[in-house]
Parts: sequence; C-alpha cells; structure tokens
Amino acid sequence: MNATEAIRERLCAATGPVRIVGSGSRARHLPARADATALDLSDLREIVRLDHGDQTCTVECGVPLATLDAALREHDLELPCLGGGTAEGTVGGLFACDPFGPGNEGGQSPRSLLLGLDAVLADGTVFKAGARVVKSVAGFDVHKLFVGSQGRLFVAARLHLRLKPRPRAEQWFTNDDLDEAAAFRLLHALRQEPLPLPVLQLRRDSDGSHAVMGRAAGRAGYVTGVVQRHGLHSVSAPTSFHLDPPPRGELLTGLAVPSALPELLRAVPAAATFTWLGGGRFQVALPDPGASDRLLAALPNVPASGVLAVATGERHGRGTPIDPGQARLADALKIALDPDGTLV
Amino acid sequence: MAIERDLTRALGPERVLHTRDALLAWECDGFTVLKSRPRAVVLPESTTEVQAVLRLLHAAAVPFVPRGAGTCLSGGPTAGADAVVVDCSRMRRVLHVSTVDRIATVQPGVVNLDLTAAVSDHDLHYAPDPSSQSVCTIGGNLAENSGGPHCFKYGMTTDHVLAATVVCPDGSLAHLGDPAGPRSPHGLDVLGVFCGSEGTFGIATEITVRLCRNPPEVRTLLASFASMSSACRAVGDIVAAGLVPAALEILDQATIRAVEASVYRAGYPENAAAVLLVELDGPHEVVGEEAAEITAFFRKNGALQSEEATTPDERKRLWKGRKGAFGAMGRIDTDLYVLDGVVPRTRLEEALTKITEIGRRHGVTLSNVFHAGDGNLHPNISFDGRDPDATARTIAAGHEILQLCVELGGSITGEHGVGGEKLDHVPLMFDDDDLEVMARVRRAFDPDGRCNPGKVLPQRHACAEVAKWPQMTAEVLGEGAAEGGQ
Ligand SMILES: Cc1cc2nc3c(=O)[nH]c(=O)nc-3n(C[C@H](O)[C@H](O)[C@H](O)COP(=O)(O)OP(=O)(O)OC[C@H]3O[C@@H](n4cnc5c(N)ncnc54)[C@H](O)[C@@H]3O)c2cc1C
Repeated sequence: MNATEAIRERLCAATGPVRIVGSGSRARHLPARADATALDLSDLREIVRLDHGDQTCTVECGVPLATLDAALREHDLELPCLGGGTAEGTVGGLFACDPFGPGNEGGQSPRSLLLGLDAVLADGTVFKAGARVVKSVAGFDVHKLFVGSQGRLFVAARLHLRLKPRPRAEQWFTNDDLDEAAAFRLLHALRQEPLPLPVLQLRRDSDGSHAVMGRAAGRAGYVTGVVQRHGLHSVSAPTSFHLDPPPRGELLTGLAVPSALPELLRAVPAAATFTWLGGGRFQVALPDPGASDRLLAALPNVPASGVLAVATGERHGRGTPIDPGQARLADALKIALDPDGTLV
Repeated sequence: MAIERDLTRALGPERVLHTRDALLAWECDGFTVLKSRPRAVVLPESTTEVQAVLRLLHAAAVPFVPRGAGTCLSGGPTAGADAVVVDCSRMRRVLHVSTVDRIATVQPGVVNLDLTAAVSDHDLHYAPDPSSQSVCTIGGNLAENSGGPHCFKYGMTTDHVLAATVVCPDGSLAHLGDPAGPRSPHGLDVLGVFCGSEGTFGIATEITVRLCRNPPEVRTLLASFASMSSACRAVGDIVAAGLVPAALEILDQATIRAVEASVYRAGYPENAAAVLLVELDGPHEVVGEEAAEITAFFRKNGALQSEEATTPDERKRLWKGRKGAFGAMGRIDTDLYVLDGVVPRTRLEEALTKITEIGRRHGVTLSNVFHAGDGNLHPNISFDGRDPDATARTIAAGHEILQLCVELGGSITGEHGVGGEKLDHVPLMFDDDDLEVMARVRRAFDPDGRCNPGKVLPQRHACAEVAKWPQMTAEVLGEGAAEGGQ
C-alpha cells in the first residue's frame, strides 16, 4: 500500500476531528484537543526517489529529517531549510509547521523548496499538485498552501523537494558575550557579504548578553576569508538559536524587517530570551502571559507581527491583528478544502 | 452599455475604452494565435480606482481580466468579448525602497527592468529576469510566477515576492504576506498560492519584493559544440560538480543561424550544433576558480571553441544573441509558437532528440533555445499563421512535445503558464481530482468565477457559465483545436 492509500484508509477509519502527527513534536507545544483522533504518520518513512543529477527527491511525509539529511549527504546534497543545527522531526512536519522560515535573507524557504506533493483531503480525495521537476507553473500551486498549514488543510503523503549542492566548505561560528552595539555591527557586516550566509542568527539572553551565530559556506578560500575578515569564532558542530518552548511561560514567533531590530529589542522585556532567525523570523521566550500580552500590544508599533506559538489553552494562536482580507481568504481556503473542519 | 457608462463616470473617458477600433491593441498577448477583442478596457492608476472598477463589475456581474504589458505567451490576459480588461500598465510607481532591508514596494505596472534601474544606484537589483524584462511588468511576473535565465541560481518570482495588496473580485481588499518574510506567522501562505494564479484570483495592486545585492564580479562564458549532446553533457558535469552558475543557457543551430542573420548578431559560430552560455557571479576569487573549472568541463566535452567575457560590453555582446533569440526567429516565418516544457535536467538530451523527431514528423520548422540548468525547454515552431494547415500541424506538434515532457517526468509549462493556450494539455499532468481541488481553491478567491474566466483550468473544472475560452479557441483554431489540439 502506498502512502496516499495508507493515509486515505486511516482518514476514512477515523471519526470526528483528526490531528495529524509526524514525530509528535508539535504535541509538546500544543496538546491535541481531547476529542481529536491522532493520525500517526511516522511509519510512512520511505525515500521514494533521490535523483541526485536533477537535485530533486520524493519522500514520504514521515521520513525523519536526520534520515533524509544522511541520505543527501552521500550525494553531496542538502535540503537548505533545516534552520541550522541538527534537525529533529519529520519532513512532513517541517513543511507543515515551517518553524524556521528561510535561514537568512535570500535563503531558501520551504515555499521555494517544495516542488509538489501527493496529498489526501479530509474526505479521502487523493490529489496531486505541483511537479517533480525544479520548475513548473502548471495549475495552481496548491502545494504551497501546505507550508505552515499545521496539517489543517490536507494531509501530505509524499513531498517532491528541490535539493541544493552541499557547499564544498562550511564553517559554523558563534560569537557570544557581545554587547548590543557589537552584535548589531557584526550582523550588519555579515549581511554585506557578497554571498549571503545560509544561516545567520542573533540571540539576546535574559542577562542582556548578545550572540551572533551562523554558517559561512562556499569554496574553502572564501569561507576562510569570511571567518578571518569578521573575527568569527569557529565551532565544530552545527548549531541553532531556535528556541524550545520554555518549561513555564510562552513562546512567541514573529516577523520583522532587519531595520526594525533595534526597536524590536527595545519592546522585548529584558527577562525574555530573544532570537532573530534570519530571513525575518524571530522568537521570544516569555516568562508569563502578562509579558506576552504587553509585547503583542507593542509589536504593531515596531512594526512587527507575532503570534503565540506555544501558550496555554485558549491563548495559543493569539497574535497581532491579522489583515481581515487575508483572514477571510484563509477561512475560505479552509472551508474549500476541509468543509467539515475535520483536520484540527 | 450601462457598465461602460458607470466605468467612465469612475475613471473619466480617456481611461475607459470601448469602441471596437480602440480595443485592437488588447485583442491578444504574445500568443497571437488566439485573438478576441474585449468588451472594454479600463486604465486605473491606484488601488482605490481598481477597487471602484471591480465593485462596479461585481454589481453588474461582468467578468474581467487583469493585464500588465501583454507579453504573456499563453493567452493569459486575452479577454472574451463579454469581459472588461483591467489594464494595470499605468500603475507604474515605485512606492517604497528600503536599502537596509533590501525590499521594494511597487505598483503592478512597474516594468521589471525599471525596478532594477530604480535601485541600481544602491548596488541592488531585482533578480527574476524574464527575457521580456524590458517590457513585462511586476504584476504580470507575480501572476505568472515568471522566471528567466538567472532563476537557476536566484529562483523564480515566488522566491522574491514577500507581500501583495490584492483587490478581490468583489472589490474588497486583502493584504497578503508580510514585507519581512515569505509567510506571515499567522498561518497559511495565501500569497504563495496567489503567485502563479495567472490573474484568476484577483488583481495585485501593490507588490513588495526582495532585492538582491549586485555581485562584485560577473563573468560570462560561451562555448560552442559540434553536437547538442556534448553541450547537454557539459551542463550535467557543471551541475554535478556542485557549481551553481547564475545562468546556463543553450541555443541550437537553427537559433544560432537566425540570430547571426539578424540585428541581434553576437558572433556565435554558425557551424556549431549548439552554444552554451554560462554566467558566473559572486566574489572575485570565487568567480575566477569557478570559471577555470567550467572551462575544463567545456574541454572535457569537446568544445569547438570557448570565450570568456569580463567587461560589461563583452558580456552584453555574448548575451545579445540569447536575449534577441525570439525576435530573430521572426525572420524565419510570419508567426512563432513558443513552447515551454520542462524535463528533468538529466533527460535533456533524450528530450531534444525526440523533439527533433516530432518536428520532422509534423513537417514543422523547429528551433530550440532553453534554460538548460532548469531543464526548461523552449522549442519554437516558426509557421505561417495564415495557413490553416501549417497552424494545425504546429499545434499538433506542440501538443506532442508537451506530452513528451510529461512522459519524461516533467511539466507542460516552466514559466509561461497555462493561460488559454494549454487548457488541453493540463489533463496530461492532472487528473479530475487534482483539478477539482484546484477549482475549489479558485472558488475560495473568486466564488462567481468572474476573474479571468476560462483560464488555467479546463472547462469542466471552471465555472461553466463563464468559461468562454474554449469556445474562443474553437472559433480561432477550428473545432478540433478546442477538443484536443490534434
Ligand atoms: C520575447 C518574450 C520573452 C519572454 N521570456 C520569458 C522568460 O524568460 N521567462 C518567463 O517567465 N516569461 C517570459 N515571457 C512571458 C511573459 O513576458 C511573462 O509571463 C510576464 O511575466 C508577463 O508580464 P506582463 O506584464 O506582460 O503580463 P501580461 O501578459 O499582461 O499578463 C500575464 C498574466 O498576468 C495577469 N496579470 C497581469 N497583471 C496582473 C495583476 N496586477 N494582478 C493579477 N494578475 C495580473 C494577467 O491576467 C495574465 O493572466 C516572455 C515573453 C516574451 C514575449
């Protein structure tokens, strides 16, 4: 039985609301509704094809990211949207949740790397969208709706992905214990590099210290040059400033342009940990709901947008105001693809 | 004429055209096989005016078709006789540029190359570069998800568009995306699916795009080969080595000869079966090393000769032939049918051999110029559109070529879109369920099916009462064409 048939069968067997589960990491952030049936897809873990000459692959949704990364490594390829560091979770989960966005400005985002998919609607209809080749504009890009959908529109069984050559040389670095001015100077200088760094992140800890980390990649001479020019502190293993949900408290994820960073940092409470994930995305680990609400109220003036990605109960998903037109279209798309509201 | 009167009241008589003669310029796009004069053309200049127009059309239940510069090659902006064309070409203001954030917000009628010109003083450029970039608009690029020679490295329009203000078919507004990143943290990537919707979801009136820094060095290499296979193998070697040139373009012998006989003459060797144009950009030391590696791949694959251009003038000369290729082909016959299929890059050689065979069988004049790095083929058929038999053979050959692309694991279109041209080819890639899901998505944006009706989805999946395009196809090409193109 192939992945679409397996999912279709499971969907048809389920009654009431259904929650899609990959590796289960989302459940740690957002427990499923009590009345929802969990649809576990972690057994759908076949790499269906890996065409290294075409730099594309097709994988089942439950393939662990680490497994895919290892397979790609053998061919000197990579999926450049893993957010830095060691990848946890499944491929389906990565695209459905899109937790990192692009690694840096100009970096590859999941929207760019998802070429197409085979999927199943909640009513059991099997469909495909996009293509397997690196370029296609045939039909509407329904597959792009999967990115960030949290599995609430349809279930992706197989994903067709664009791959990139692994750079000939790379160097991960972390410069920590910086004050704000030094951190901004370094970030600014690295943004001026002619080859955008595939990963570039900033962190401010609750003790007020700042750090900048990233990955310089390319040809060996160039990578060495970047490290030397900017006095980067090399680290041996890939790393990431991506924040895990705090044990207590809440996690906010948002978007702001680089020029808004200083203002944004002023709005973030000192007791919170802040990370800038490059590519516009940022995260704030907030100590309590009051601090979250104050930050949410301040963000539109920064300007920035944000939403509580991890929060207790009904507070989850609370965010800065969303454009009513975009919200109306998002609702219309949900009704169009899952009219009974099965996928939760 | 009530709607014409209302539109005139809203925009003034100079910006509402509805006499038959005045509509001639809007009867087709770059796909000249399909022609139809719209009911009227309106020329709004702002989001508010587009809203006013769409509200009037909504109230009167009149279909409409967004339009940019009309360079589309698939009949996308060509309107049925009952539809009003909303021409955005007067909306050509660059509204905002942030050099720190490297973004620009523009009206949809801004010409692609004008945006780059507007930011070039800041050492920035807009990366997606359709070959029509001196004419086509950012609105059209967004609607088509356009690519270009440099999208092998830099990606298509979807990789560069961050936000858009869209006037929905009922005249309401939606602000999609976020200038700070490709998907707003609130959830769905609505802009992601709007991009490439070929003007069927609404009209984009303000578009925020990412700008790229100009590379410190650009170098263009040209190699000629005695066979197309050798040129394709050189491309395979370059990609397999992990190199990502900014562009990897191939022209075949027929194209080389047409170019060399035209004003676009670039000095390509006319005895070559293929020329391969490679562009490298980046830091000096990187470009130098990559150029050496690529020259070695040229040699390995038996290049007849190769040259390297480092100055802007030399580079311009090497590109002149490629950029003028479509224009040069105008010399071969009165009409040109530009196909746009995609195959996996590793199957380029096989595809080209079979395409030559298809052309021979149908007795059509074929030439090829293509984005080799992406496997995006542009087989071009030169024909005399006044000759019905030649037209029928052209369409039949085109259909077979696109069928071949799909059989090889590719696509019926890499950048020109489905429009009204490829409705018959869509089922080669998508079955009824796939198309029904797309139709549902379309209805979420345009419940009444009034926005560019009859495009992208074959008729039974479009709104039946407004899908006039296949009938137009039949009118122009004869019944057989609308039913299967054979
Ligand atoms: C010589 C030549 C070379 C070309 N080379 C390339 C190439 O390299 N790569 C490539 O991708 N394409 C290429 N094209 C095709 C074409 O130029 C592109 O599709 C371009 O993006 C169309 O832009 P336009 O402004 O002319 O749009 P139009 O042709 O006017 O319209 C295209 C589509 O966009 C819709 N539309 C226009 N404006 C809006 C808006 N504001 N909101 C919503 N929908 C809108 C229309 O309804 C239509 O469906 C080429 C065409 C020619 C003639």
